Amino acid sequence: MKPHNPQSRRAWCAAALGVAGFCVLAGPGFSADAETVPSFDNQAQKIFSALQDTPNANLQAGSWGRNLNEYYKLRQYPGSPPRIPHNVDPAFNGDETNCLSCHEQGGYSPEHQKFAPVTPHPENTLCYQCHTKETTQETTQVTPQVTAKESFVANDWKSIEPPKLGRSALGGSPPPVPHTLQMRENCVACHTGPGAVVEIRVSHAERGDCRQCHATVIQTAPLKTFSRE
Amino acid sequence: MPIFSYLAIPRKGAREALYTELSTLQYCQAMPAENQDIVMLITDTPDADTEKRLQQRLKELPSLQSLSMAFGYGEKNDKGEQTDHET
Amino acid sequence: MKLDRRQFIKQAAISSAFATAGALFPGVSFGEWNSLANNSGVISWQKTPCRFCGTGCGVLVGVTDGRAVAVKGDPSCSVNKGLCCMKGYHSVQALYGEDRLTTAKVRKNGKMVEVPIKEALDLVASKLQETREKQGKDAIAMYGSGQWTIPDGYVASKLFKGCLSTNNVEANARLCMSSAVTGFISSFGIDEPMGCYEDIDHANVFITWGNNMAEMHPVLFSRMLANRKQRTNVKIIDFATRHTRTSLAADRSILFHPQTDLAVANAICYEIINNGWVNWNFVNEHVSFKKGKTNIGYGTEDHFSFTEKEESINFDAFKEFLEDYTPEKVEKVSGVPAKDIKYLAALYGDPEIKVTSFWCMGMNQHTRGTWINNLVYNIHLLVGKISTPGNSPFSLTGQPSACGTVREVGTLTHRLPHGVVMNDKHRQMAAEIWDVPVTNIDPKPTDHTVAMFRSLDRGDIKFMWIQVTNPMVTMPNLKRYRDGALKDDRFLVVSDVYPTPTTDVADVILPAAMWIEQEGMYGNSERRTQHFEQIVDPPGEAMSDTWQIIEVARRLGFEKQFSWSKDNYIEKIWEEYRRFHAGPKHEMAPYKVLQKRSGVQWPFVNGKETRWRFNPKYDPACTNGKDFDFYGKKDHRACIWARPYEPAAESPDKEYNFWLNTGRVIEHWHTGSMTRRVPVLHNAVPSAYVELHPEDAAELGVLDGEKVKIISRRGEIIMPAQVKGRGVPARGMVFVPFFDESYLINEVTLDAYCPISKQPDYKKCAVKLEKV
Repeated sequence: MKPHNPQSRRAWCAAALGVAGFCVLAGPGFSADAETVPSFDNQAQKIFSALQDTPNANLQAGSWGRNLNEYYKLRQYPGSPPRIPHNVDPAFNGDETNCLSCHEQGGYSPEHQKFAPVTPHPENTLCYQCHTKETTQETTQVTPQVTAKESFVANDWKSIEPPKLGRSALGGSPPPVPHTLQMRENCVACHTGPGAVVEIRVSHAERGDCRQCHATVIQTAPLKTFSRE
Repeated sequence: MPIFSYLAIPRKGAREALYTELSTLQYCQAMPAENQDIVMLITDTPDADTEKRLQQRLKELPSLQSLSMAFGYGEKNDKGEQTDHET
Repeated sequence: MKLDRRQFIKQAAISSAFATAGALFPGVSFGEWNSLANNSGVISWQKTPCRFCGTGCGVLVGVTDGRAVAVKGDPSCSVNKGLCCMKGYHSVQALYGEDRLTTAKVRKNGKMVEVPIKEALDLVASKLQETREKQGKDAIAMYGSGQWTIPDGYVASKLFKGCLSTNNVEANARLCMSSAVTGFISSFGIDEPMGCYEDIDHANVFITWGNNMAEMHPVLFSRMLANRKQRTNVKIIDFATRHTRTSLAADRSILFHPQTDLAVANAICYEIINNGWVNWNFVNEHVSFKKGKTNIGYGTEDHFSFTEKEESINFDAFKEFLEDYTPEKVEKVSGVPAKDIKYLAALYGDPEIKVTSFWCMGMNQHTRGTWINNLVYNIHLLVGKISTPGNSPFSLTGQPSACGTVREVGTLTHRLPHGVVMNDKHRQMAAEIWDVPVTNIDPKPTDHTVAMFRSLDRGDIKFMWIQVTNPMVTMPNLKRYRDGALKDDRFLVVSDVYPTPTTDVADVILPAAMWIEQEGMYGNSERRTQHFEQIVDPPGEAMSDTWQIIEVARRLGFEKQFSWSKDNYIEKIWEEYRRFHAGPKHEMAPYKVLQKRSGVQWPFVNGKETRWRFNPKYDPACTNGKDFDFYGKKDHRACIWARPYEPAAESPDKEYNFWLNTGRVIEHWHTGSMTRRVPVLHNAVPSAYVELHPEDAAELGVLDGEKVKIISRRGEIIMPAQVKGRGVPARGMVFVPFFDESYLINEVTLDAYCPISKQPDYKKCAVKLEKV
């Protein structure tokens, strides 16, 4: 499938978006005082800029979308960079604006008939450095995880269980952030909007500062108990 | 399709670590006791081979001291049998 | 195999395991929250204000089987409209730490021995009486808290001031809010903010003056974020000495050198005057100008005393005074570029822009705390941006009831529930309501908090009762005060819920009921009083602080003044206390109204809350027929005070070349005695650290996590460094959070204070660093 040039792809997306009823606008949002304020606290300014810049419609949840199973199928271990599940032209030269044209702000792709997930780290523009391409024949389906038949040599790779959901300390209390924040500083990108994984989608992102309620307690680290010395 | 339940005794001071380790195993569900250093474990594997492999994994857990079966239902049995307690 | 049969077998497996466990380990319990015995899944929800900060969110606590099991935000509470923060959402877990104090303990032969609480109370009363008789009425003292409920503080004040005739009653709010109070009194003649949280929904510009609002008043901050997103013309500006989460969220982040907020505020006033932005209608009608003493010292010596001398001046004198504070001159001392000063001034000066200034500890924990509070009021008064929706100089309160208890009940050495001990009429009113002879109430204030602990050290005070606070972690220059408390012949009674470094030095430990284990009220930053029932029972012999004081008061012979019955004593105390505040300036809602509603603001006049004070559109206490009435002052005018910049008590020099700044993080409350026992919060931030600027760390040769020694003239401490973590201090400054009792940073800080408010400066002293 020939790639459209970025311009017409954007135009197609925009038209389709009108149909889908979601409107993605590049609003003038705020940006934290980039000159004077250094980067720290797990690049927390991303939370605040994303909140400001993401239109309200995209902060809502929807009933459509990919689930955790599909999500982890593309990953070798929790936190690994996902494979690209759709075809890209073998002659695709790695120009990042092609990836970001869909993955920076999300939106409906009629070509793949899905909503594009939003990347939490658009500032890393050499996408192919970490995200491998499909090398199988052309197909519009998500190919299953490479099986032993297709490996060069078999291997018995296994990894840890991904973080479990619903680990609220009390019934109904905000569950802690179970994953490290490195490369995942922008909550809004993965947890809101139609491109988000269904099980972790939230409809309350407009409340402001996510980490006001959600403490960061990494699930794979042993739980510490308090004791006076 | 074997289903087992156990009392898992951790090494000294490692109850929380044992609970964490057990929780991350596939086919396992764990619940720590509040006031004793024990963890309850329920396993539910799809077939005998997986069950064998799970048993092997359990034996290798660093924070586990001993595993005491409380209930076992294997493929061959038709009724759930309560096996003898080990102490 | 059918699904339901599989489930059945699994259930059998679980039951077997339970049974086996029960047989092998009698009394074992597997306490997952969703498997409580008798748990039918039914939860009853009851309202209460949150236990933690001065925002005063309304929460609903879920109770099953006598245990608090869940928390929701209370959607009927206008403060937070159903939203909380991570401390609030997990607050109930703080009730169930393993080492909760459930029995009284008494020190016998150097060891703490459990005794029935009755015996402990007997001992407290007899020791108090003995000290009083042998050493004098002022040898006893009560040190309470901005986390005291209103009835707690009321009975403490009634007992010590009304019955025992001593003004040795202080509270930890002296260490957090007293500069705000003296700022209010000197500028307006009356305490507490004139605006309310609704200002957030109207303001165009928010300026945070030295407070990390995103972490410290998170629910209010996210309301600001929501407003910025929904309305088109909203900006947040962070004005601080270090970069924090608030800086990252703000549109502009402007750093200033510590203490120079005084100079910058004056420079903003200079700009306003010189650009012709003064609101003359407002100033001519509603403002008077004053100046006070300068070069007023820092209170580091025992028996330091200060008396203000106020002098009226006129506008021209004020303008001349500001000639020293041009933006260009102030840039030199503050590090704030002149163009940024002008930028801030232009925001205040533009009549179309509504400005809300927020501040908290940065301005209050300051050796010129009263002055800087005055100066920010000056700015708002010069442009008339006050007492109208959105235009609001808003002094945020740190603790849940520093306003409600310490400031409104008056649990400070010079205060009474209405007014001050020095005033005949006020003493008369107290004597009448308390049913004690007016001669009981001593007209002379005695010691403020720092002075009180100095008196304890010197031996002028021999008996101290401490409730709901942890001074053996929080007193600045801590070593002196801990050594003082440990001296022979000092008798300390400590009421608390968990073992702390303060209970470690106690002679009597009284187990206290915590928060919703007793009925009470809290009063938050925006003058909102919130009532809560007793929602769960306290464990063991733990007893509410109010009732502890009543028990001791009765043993001392004051049954008449403390005759209430356990069934309804909180209601009766409230109705008695309310009498002090009768009148449109301070009327408090009746008990029944407080019970029903999720918080009621005072003044509560004819069934309506006064949301904006001093503005006759909203405030029925206004009487002068003008468009504003600052009725706290005799001339019904607010005061603009000419206050100069004066340096900090101990600035960095050649040897001690770093500023030491202290404060909090969102996860932990104060000294962590509650929040560290909440697993989620403890695991999010398990221990303290020292923040360094990356370049300072590089020069010191220190990486993130490596140990650093912090040395001051008073003490030293070794801590792990944090570089580019939660916050980044300016170069030449380090920041340490004080929640971790294994890193007593206050051994290093300095007990200098604002001579007017007596509030210590925890944000500034001089240290040097060494790589360990």
